[in-house]
This record gives sequence, structure tokens and C-alpha cells, in this order.
Amino acid sequence: MALLDVKNLTLEIDTANGWINVLDKVSFSINNKEIRALVGESGSGKSLVVKAIVGALPERWRIKADRMMWQGEDLLNMRQDKRRKITREQIAVVYQNPATSLDPSATLGDQIMEAVSSKLLSRGWFWQKQQQREKIAITHLHKVGIRDHKTCMDSYPHQLSDDVCQKFMIALALVSQPKLLIADDPTMAMVPSTKIQILKLFKHLNQTRGLSILFVSHDLLSIFSMADSLTVLYCGQTVETGKMDKILKRPLHPYTQALLDSAPSFSKGLERKTDLPTLEGTIPPLQHLPIGCRLGPRCPRAQKDCVKTPEERRIHEHFYRCHFPIHRPTK
Amino acid sequence: MLNYTIRRLNLLFFTLLVLSVVSFSLAFLFPGDSLTNLSGVKSPTPIQLASLQESYKVDSNYFWQYIAYLRLLLDGDWGISFTSQQPLLDDLSTTLPATVELSTYAFTLAILIGVPCGIIAGLKHHKIFDFSILSASLLGYSVPVFWLALILIQLFSLQLSLLPLSGRISLYFDVPIQSGFIIYDIFQAENIDKTAALRDVFFHLILPTLSIAIMTGTIIIRIVRRSVLNVLEQDYIKAAYGRGQTNAQVFWKHGLRNSLLPVLPLIVTQFTTLLTNAMIVEVIFSWPGIGNWLIQAIYQRDYPAIRGGMLMVSSLVIMFTISLDILIRVIDPTKGRKIRVAV
Repeated sequence: MALLDVKNLTLEIDTANGWINVLDKVSFSINNKEIRALVGESGSGKSLVVKAIVGALPERWRIKADRMMWQGEDLLNMRQDKRRKITREQIAVVYQNPATSLDPSATLGDQIMEAVSSKLLSRGWFWQKQQQREKIAITHLHKVGIRDHKTCMDSYPHQLSDDVCQKFMIALALVSQPKLLIADDPTMAMVPSTKIQILKLFKHLNQTRGLSILFVSHDLLSIFSMADSLTVLYCGQTVETGKMDKILKRPLHPYTQALLDSAPSFSKGLERKTDLPTLEGTIPPLQHLPIGCRLGPRCPRAQKDCVKTPEERRIHEHFYRCHFPIHRPTK
Repeated sequence: MLNYTIRRLNLLFFTLLVLSVVSFSLAFLFPGDSLTNLSGVKSPTPIQLASLQESYKVDSNYFWQYIAYLRLLLDGDWGISFTSQQPLLDDLSTTLPATVELSTYAFTLAILIGVPCGIIAGLKHHKIFDFSILSASLLGYSVPVFWLALILIQLFSLQLSLLPLSGRISLYFDVPIQSGFIIYDIFQAENIDKTAALRDVFFHLILPTLSIAIMTGTIIIRIVRRSVLNVLEQDYIKAAYGRGQTNAQVFWKHGLRNSLLPVLPLIVTQFTTLLTNAMIVEVIFSWPGIGNWLIQAIYQRDYPAIRGGMLMVSSLVIMFTISLDILIRVIDPTKGRKIRVAV
């Protein structure tokens, strides 16, 4: 059974031009001990997917899904406190923007100690528990590469640089010992060497502790180095989902193809100083989303049928939404 | 921090200096002889006149006159009042505590009403409770203070005869003025029934305090509500929910402090408005405070009193605001700009 199974997740937000589907039938699932990558351009709705999973969206937005199951339990229709309990104990999120996702008026120490689950503490008086919390917090800070834990825990978020805050966010997520880690662009502000350390840490936790990871990023290189499976998001639609090696070898959706081509390490035989292959145009703004397949106006293979939203098709474990997939004979 | 304190004290110093310049120039702008306006002695004997001219340095130019004036101010010789013929500083030291007392109570009451109501309204955003608090607060700050005070007197004193009409304390109690703060004076006084006196003071306080506090309280409600709404939309609140914390945990641990810290300076600025309102209300309730005293001085063209009162009230406001600024700086951790690079 999948750990997290999301089917046709649709999110509508209220704008000046009426309600807009910013997420349109997003489907993916994460198995136990799997690292799934969620890829897409900026503004494709990656962070919204993350927030929808943990329920951190404004209340006036409308969220619908055929199913959003956490180990067989429906997250959307359960009581709020039960859902909070699940997100508290089993899911942890590394948010994209560490500067605004940390409470500006509390020291980092307070914030991380608060996240230590009381289940992890052995019995004892409350002052002993406080010490245990501190100890657990410090181990996790060391794990993510913050050596000077004392300074870090005594500081307020604005006193530290962005990459330290980001490491701290990762420690904060790991400290509750979750089953699923949702990492929303966790290495954004980091220098390459620390980035590699963090990715190694994730991989290590995945192998030793069986931590499942939803790795949200647009950094293709780090995704290819660690993820087992891949979901590609464009403009709030999942365009292709499947095992990493299958997709790398034979992408079916033109957008996935274009995404892979745009990463220089994957396009073979690229001449020096030639332009990287890109799709024409840019990602459309929210108020001008095309109907049907949202890639339509930019797609090199688009035809008349593309104004209808393509249904999800599958070949074994490989799902795609395209009327005219690459590498497949058209009807 | 030290840097900030020094900057604030610097501001305080120069503002006070400017105020003293203004009060000095008032003596020349008011009709009549400037020396009379400064000293308050209306018809001095030749000997008095000579000594006044000596101490105010009338013969030298404006600058040295101002320096002489400043020296006298610091020595505590603010001149005497035309009407009472008492030294101004003595008059001020009896009237000012009454005003400070009244406005402190009113400000405390306003905060006690405003902050909880604002928080509840913010949390119950766009629900019936929010709307009722909002409409009540709109009503509260649209009503002019002097009119509200009259209505309260009409209702509670004249019609229902529940509360006394005016003054600080009934004339039955003979409380000698020591500090000017009536409650302290009652404890110091002898030969009176202290509990009865305190009760009486309390009843006298209710109406004036209410009529001042309502307006400031309603403004505080709106400020706090706005800030709570603003904070609840922040990413870190959403992140705290995402970490699975309950509503109560999120509010008490992350919401409350963050929504109150930014409104503290705004609330402090309301004190100035409140003091102005207090001075108006004093006249209506015949409260023996500085507002009442100043308005009497204006009626009677008591120029030294106007000058002294203005200087006293404005210095008080500025010292109060600046000391609270420094206090806020101390308690607000987000204001520190110390960046730690290496961790």
C-alpha cells in the first residue's frame, strides 16, 4: 500500500477574475521507503501541492480530490485534530522559504524543542524531559551540519543567514522522526558542498531508517542523483509520472522531453556555445491559463485535439497525460 | 542597544530644547511686556523690577536672555501665575499628578478592553462576534469625548444618581495634598476613614475614566485586530499548522507575541490622544488636573501659566513616549540587528 496516495487533487483559488484551478487533477503516490521527486518550473504549483498535503492553505481556497490517502486513511475527510496528529507525528515538511517560515520572535532553540515529540522522551520529571528535548534537538542540528548548536539555538531567525536557517528547517523537520519527509526546495540557498551533504543525509536516512521523501525541486541534477521516481508538474497539471530510469530513458510527454533537454548534462553531443534547447514562450500567468492541456500553446506536437484535457494513460507504472506522446504510435 | 538609547536621548534633549525655545518666544508673542509674561509679576516694586531685570538679563540680546531663562527653568523658578500669585511649579505639581493619575487609569482600562477584544475579533474573523465588536468600536471612536462625558453624566449621575457628578473626592474627606496622587495621599492622611475614602475616589473615577478610555480602547481594538489578522496569514503560522500543532498551540506560542509586538509602538502613540481627551474631560468633570487648570489660565489670560503648562505637558508627553520607545526596543527581539554569520 502506498504511504501517500493523491488522486486528482484540484485546488481552486479566488482571484479578481473568479475562481481559478491552480492545481488541476494532480495525481501521484509515494510508496514506503521511496524517494519521489516532484519537478516543475517556478510557478508550476509545486509548493501548493506540499501545502495542500499538510493542510497549510488559507481556508477560503477550495480543495478537492478523488482521494488523498495517508496509509489508507482519507486526509481530506477526517477530523481536523486527527489530521493534525498525523501531520505532527508522521509527516514533516521543509518549507521553501526559511526566512518567513520561522517564527521571527522566538529563538530557534524554542522552536526546535517544541517540535520534539514527547513520545521520544523516556519517563521522567519535566525538567529532565526538557534536557532530553535539548539533547535530541542538538543531535539533529549536528546531523544537518550546524556545528555551533549553542549560537544557533540562542539566535532569532533574522540573525542567521539563509542557508543556516534552511539547515535548521531540515533539522526541525527531522526532529519529529517522521515517516515521510516533504522537502520543498531544501537546498535552495546552499553552497554546493553543503548541498551535497544534505542530499547525502537524505539518502542515508532513506536507506537506514526507511524514510520516504517527497523531494520538490527544479534542480534536475540533484533529483537524478537520488530520486527513485519522478512526477513532472506543468502549470498545476501532472504531465508525467513514473520510475526515474524509465522516464530518463524514454520520456513520453513532450514537456518532460523538453525539461530533460534543457539540462546540459543530459543532452549529448551539444556543441560549444550553442543555445540550450528550450520551448517557445513562457509559463502562462494564472489569469491566462489555456484550456485543455496547459502546455498546448508551447507544445511542438500540439494538434487540434489538445484543447481537450487529455486523460491519464498508463503503461505499467508509467502514467502520462498527452494525446500525442513521443515514442508512441498515434492512433 | 546602547547606540539606540543614545540616539533616543539625543532626540529627547533636542526636542526639549526646541520646546523651551517655543515657550520662551511665547512670552514675546503674547500681548504685554515680555518681562511680565516671563516672571508673572504684574506690578513690581522698583526693587523687585531691578532684581527681575537682573535675573532675566533684559538688557542683553535675545540669546543671553534665553540662556538666563533656561537657567531659571532648571533652577525651578518658572515664574508665578497672574491669578493665583503662586509659583507656577507649585501649581503644576498639584495639578499634574491628578491628570497623570486619570490618564494612567484610562490608558490601562483602554488596553484591558482593547487588546483582548481585538484578539478575539481577529481570531473570529468575519464571524458575527467580529462584526459586533467592529461596529461597537466604530461607534466608540466616532463619538466625541466631551459629548460622551456629558451623556454619561446625564445618565448615571442625574437620572440614575448612581455616580457622583464631579471632582475627585467628596468634600467630607479632608485629604491633605502631599504627592497629588489621591490614593497615595489617602494612605498618608490621618483621621479619615480610609476604606470609605477609597470607595468614594473609586466612584468618582468611574465616569471620567470611562469617557476617556472608550475612544482609545476602540482604536486599540482595531489596531490589534488588524495585526492579528495579518499575523495569521504569515507563512510561519501556516508552517506551524503544517507541523501539526493545534489551534491553541499555534496561537499562544506563535500568534500572540508576533501580533502584539508590532502594535506596541502604535498603542503608545495613542497615549498622546488620550492625554488631550483627558484634558477636555477634566473640564467637564471639574477634575483638578492640568487640563482644567490650563483652560482656566486661557480664560483669564494668565500668560505665564499658559507658557508653563504648555511646556510641562509637552515635556511629559515626549519623555513618556521616548522612554516607552526604549522599553519596546528592549523587549522586542525582532528589532535587534545583530547578525551572526558563522554557525
